Amino acid sequence: MEKIESSNKAGLSEIEANFVAKSLMLKVDAISPENTNTEVSNYFRDNSGVIGLPVIENNKPIGLINRNIFMDSMARPFHAELYNRKSCISFMDKTPLVVPEDMSIQELSFKVVNSGSKTLNDGFIITDNEGIYLGIGTGEDLVRVVTNLQAEKNRLVMESINYASVIQKSFLRNSMEDLQSSLKEFYLHWEPRDKVGGDYYFCKKFDDGFFLALIDCTGHGVPGAFMTLIMSSFLDHVLIEKNKSDPAGLMQIMNKKVKDALGQHDNTEGLEGEAKYAKMLDKDGSDDGMDAAFIWVDLKNKNFTFSGAKTPLYTLNPGDTEVAIIDGDKKGVGYVDTPYEFEWTNKTSQFTEGMNIYMTTDGVIDQIGGSKNIAFGKKRYTANIIENSKKTMTEQKDLLLKEFYDYQGKQKRRDDVTIAAFKL
Amino acid sequence: MDLYLAATNDSPEVDFKFSKHSLSMKGEAFPEDASKFYYPIVVALDQYLKSTDKQEINFDFNLTYFNSASTKMLFTIFQLLNQSASTHNRVIVNWHFDEEDDTIKEFGQEVAEDFPMLELFLIETSQA
Repeated sequence: MEKIESSNKAGLSEIEANFVAKSLMLKVDAISPENTNTEVSNYFRDNSGVIGLPVIENNKPIGLINRNIFMDSMARPFHAELYNRKSCISFMDKTPLVVPEDMSIQELSFKVVNSGSKTLNDGFIITDNEGIYLGIGTGEDLVRVVTNLQAEKNRLVMESINYASVIQKSFLRNSMEDLQSSLKEFYLHWEPRDKVGGDYYFCKKFDDGFFLALIDCTGHGVPGAFMTLIMSSFLDHVLIEKNKSDPAGLMQIMNKKVKDALGQHDNTEGLEGEAKYAKMLDKDGSDDGMDAAFIWVDLKNKNFTFSGAKTPLYTLNPGDTEVAIIDGDKKGVGYVDTPYEFEWTNKTSQFTEGMNIYMTTDGVIDQIGGSKNIAFGKKRYTANIIENSKKTMTEQKDLLLKEFYDYQGKQKRRDDVTIAAFKL
Repeated sequence: MDLYLAATNDSPEVDFKFSKHSLSMKGEAFPEDASKFYYPIVVALDQYLKSTDKQEINFDFNLTYFNSASTKMLFTIFQLLNQSASTHNRVIVNWHFDEEDDTIKEFGQEVAEDFPMLELFLIETSQA
């Protein structure tokens, strides 16, 4: 595929393109080697703001005289007498940084940094593309522009991520409302690591019950968020009255749709050794999908059907002293190594009123923390559930999060976090 | 050629002493670009296994965290080792985990199930 980034002049790239060496240019008079040191002294005296005075020959720069070096040299004993009438090249820097006017600010910054502190102090010479002298730029101005540029880019990126977060949240709102109208006691907590993320929940209400999905798509941040929008639109599309009670079947449909849409088929067959691994680790080929818990709750007939893709379901009946774990299947949905025809398993159970059901993405279980810097783990998660199971769902959520945040402590968040629970 | 990669903030120490048939990974693995990180590892391991016969290979696995992208790549590594163990070499995996770390322990059990030719030992460690 052709790379087009370099010619892209929109938005962020535009900001960069607008700033070139010329943006920093000061039109400073240049002198020629015929001029004497006396004239240089006079010039510096009359133009107190000028730090570097360029020297040109046939309109092309041959050096740069630094004010301080020049003044110091001339102040030495007898130097004024010796050099006053000599050519001004005596004390000039013969290898100043010279750049064309259309050089990007980024390239210019690298050049200035590489040429050492000299250029930051003295500045650099700007020419046209034929090498004809145009003016000079100062290190101070460069630092200022680079700082502004960086701030402006950050602002744009943050603004767009903040707005992306608004969009992602608004996608979640319908699900929240459907769950609210289906259940009295529940919590849903969505906490992406980077404002937007690959975690997602989805709920649809039907006359006799509701369908709830907790989804952990590949990646986090913006790429993760892209995946959640693909997944939720697929799910919204395929979930209908007829198949709502078949979460495993829905996973299979989703698996095929994702594989077809993203072209994720196992294409390593017949390849050997390096070629095979190159293909497997191919950066151009995507290998995206989701881990998920799908559950259909039939409120009329008091049963639920669960299907899991590398995600279990946790249940607790009133009076139980242990959380029951219903394991999901070991394959994620859509990934290259999941077969096209893979079948997930439905697990159906009757429920009695008062049963609690809990779900979490791996962001909670796998978070590193504690005194040993090891994962939070299922044991800690289920122990927290047991300990607080008699409290309201909102209190349970707060207590789980409190323990989780405390456990995380000073460790960095590793992944997006989504937790859900409800009482039947 | 042996392969050594020092640990970084988001990638583990990789110490593959092929010349001594001793492999080790230690730390945490959640590199931003998983393919880029694992590609040279997988290629080096593949080349080594192809040119190695009737040896006892020891793999000390000592990771405390790996994200899902890393998990896929680690499976590729275990797949290679499993293949070699079923044809040419004896592969011993020492799966280290903290006594309280049920997450890593379960993962080790899963690897043992999925790659039956590996001689995988779950080794509980306790730290003060």
